[in-house]
Amino acid sequence: MTTALPMPAENAGRGGKIPLVPVLLLAPAVLLYLVFFVWPQLALLMLGFQDRGGAFTLDLYVRFLSDSYYLKLLWRTLVMGVATTMITILLGLPLAYLLARARSRWATLLLIITTFPLLVSAVVRSFGWMVLLYRNGFVSDLLQWLSLTDGPTQLMYTLPGTIIALAQVLLPIMVLSLYAVFRSIPPDLELAAMSLGARPTTALWLVTIKLAKGGIFSGSLLVFSMAISSFATPSLVGGPRAAVMATSIYDLTVTVLDWNFAAVQATVLLVAVLLLSLIYGRLLNGGGIKT
Amino acid sequence: MNIHLNRRSVIAGMAAMTATPLIGSKALAQAKPFEGRTLVSTGFGGSTMDIVADAVFKPFDAQTGATTTQMPMQSNAALARMIAEKGSPQIDMYQFSGGQEVDAVREGLTQAIAETDQIDALAADMRDPDGNWVAWAVIAEGLVYRTDKFDTPPTSYQDFFRPELKGHIAFPAITNGYGTDFLVMLAKTFGGSEDNIDPGFEAMAKLKDETIFAAASDIPTLFGQGDIWLMPYDTGNTYKNQQAGLPIAFTSPKEGSPAVKITACIAKDAANADVASAAIDRMLSPEAQIKIAEGMRWTPTNPNTKLPADLAQHVPDVTQLVSLDRAKINESRAAWIDRWNREIAS
Repeated sequence: MTTALPMPAENAGRGGKIPLVPVLLLAPAVLLYLVFFVWPQLALLMLGFQDRGGAFTLDLYVRFLSDSYYLKLLWRTLVMGVATTMITILLGLPLAYLLARARSRWATLLLIITTFPLLVSAVVRSFGWMVLLYRNGFVSDLLQWLSLTDGPTQLMYTLPGTIIALAQVLLPIMVLSLYAVFRSIPPDLELAAMSLGARPTTALWLVTIKLAKGGIFSGSLLVFSMAISSFATPSLVGGPRAAVMATSIYDLTVTVLDWNFAAVQATVLLVAVLLLSLIYGRLLNGGGIKT
Repeated sequence: MNIHLNRRSVIAGMAAMTATPLIGSKALAQAKPFEGRTLVSTGFGGSTMDIVADAVFKPFDAQTGATTTQMPMQSNAALARMIAEKGSPQIDMYQFSGGQEVDAVREGLTQAIAETDQIDALAADMRDPDGNWVAWAVIAEGLVYRTDKFDTPPTSYQDFFRPELKGHIAFPAITNGYGTDFLVMLAKTFGGSEDNIDPGFEAMAKLKDETIFAAASDIPTLFGQGDIWLMPYDTGNTYKNQQAGLPIAFTSPKEGSPAVKITACIAKDAANADVASAAIDRMLSPEAQIKIAEGMRWTPTNPNTKLPADLAQHVPDVTQLVSLDRAKINESRAAWIDRWNREIAS
């Protein structure tokens, strides 16, 4: 801080114009990030390359990457994230479109109802799902009543159960991301497309959905990263049998007290998210923009 | 006898009268050795924390002038916190239920509790030889079953393998202390021990398709919506759920009820170690121990505690419980968890 401030002035004096105001505006956030994010993240990264005595080692990464159990854990986490994201896109797209295009005064109310679950703690929502997903719970009864299953179905303590609960928890995030984008696309564009001969569905697909790609991307990224890092829902609804990276990191930190290996898992998770986001962003942009 | 009331004697008398309460309050103040002091302890959260507060900390605060707060924290998390705060503890006193006190002592995170007659009276396995922890209660583990599904109560850990109960069994994950003890008791049932855990894993593998849960908070829904009839758990949670209206009961298996020690210890370098010592002694008082037994069905450790007969029949006596080799269990925990994750939970 003390060295950062005089420098711009000095540079400005020499003619290399670094404007003071943006630097000052950025400084608090950057400082906060450095102290509370970058530094701890680096410390975490270092921890993963140390054995219990503090000496440098790659053993922990070898242990993770060469053990099918941990790889399965990572795979299950990514499946959970992707499935949750896809469900929220499927449910969120029509809902957000409707909310954004609705002219009725009910639209605002609907939007509030949609986002309302965000106000309820994830723990409370998960407890609600627990009651519904047990063998004698509502979902199982409903499936039997619809003759979709013969006997009771246990969704509690399974990965599908976790995904269902997570999708409900994270749907508002997707809807809000899409809503903002749909609102910014003028309905006139669809009308213009139709006046040029496009059928309504084609117009919707070619114009609106493609323009909303940015919203789909940011919504997916948010939902995906929140899903794979969420702890309350997987630990309550998924339980030990559907263990994911977040619950494994918790167990390692709190029960086994192996913080070094927990750091390895946290880092692997972070890298996996970054990689997947990059690939996803490429796919979404690469497929759409044709020049 | 003539009493001469003059102005001087009346004034003197009135002065004496007003002075009396002053002297009284001063004497009281001297009897409150921790006036203005604070004590921070961990607590087990929920109603347990409230009952412990009512039985121990509130009367303790009233008597000594201290202000005690309990921070809700599960034992595992508490130990992690204790390690993280090594050298400058923010929490003076720790309550553990999963044998973490042994690790805490080994890691040099504790200090000796001031010795008292009540601590001396404890059985040898209810206190640390070096005075670093005491067990202020014991929880009996055993079989918890749906009373409407059993004509005769289950009697043994063998009952988990009865074919007619298939699909109606639940047991806690190994990261839950009771899950570890269940594994050890299965090992003992089938010829193993803390040193020879293989028979436990082999037996548990036969139950791997049954419901595995994480915490006591799952119990109400398991017995309710989960269609579960039998699980290994403890007296305290059985009682709590009975009060909530669940048709369940606790019974001690013939292989023995493992005892879970509920311990207290003081963080090394804690600012309020003297207050913590006095509070721990208070936990061992028969009045507090009876209140805890009443509220939670936890077994008293102070041998001078005499439970009322109607309460005693629901609370197994400390002498009836089996002490597991906690040092060995703690030592093996990481390896067992790793093996359990692969063989049982997958």
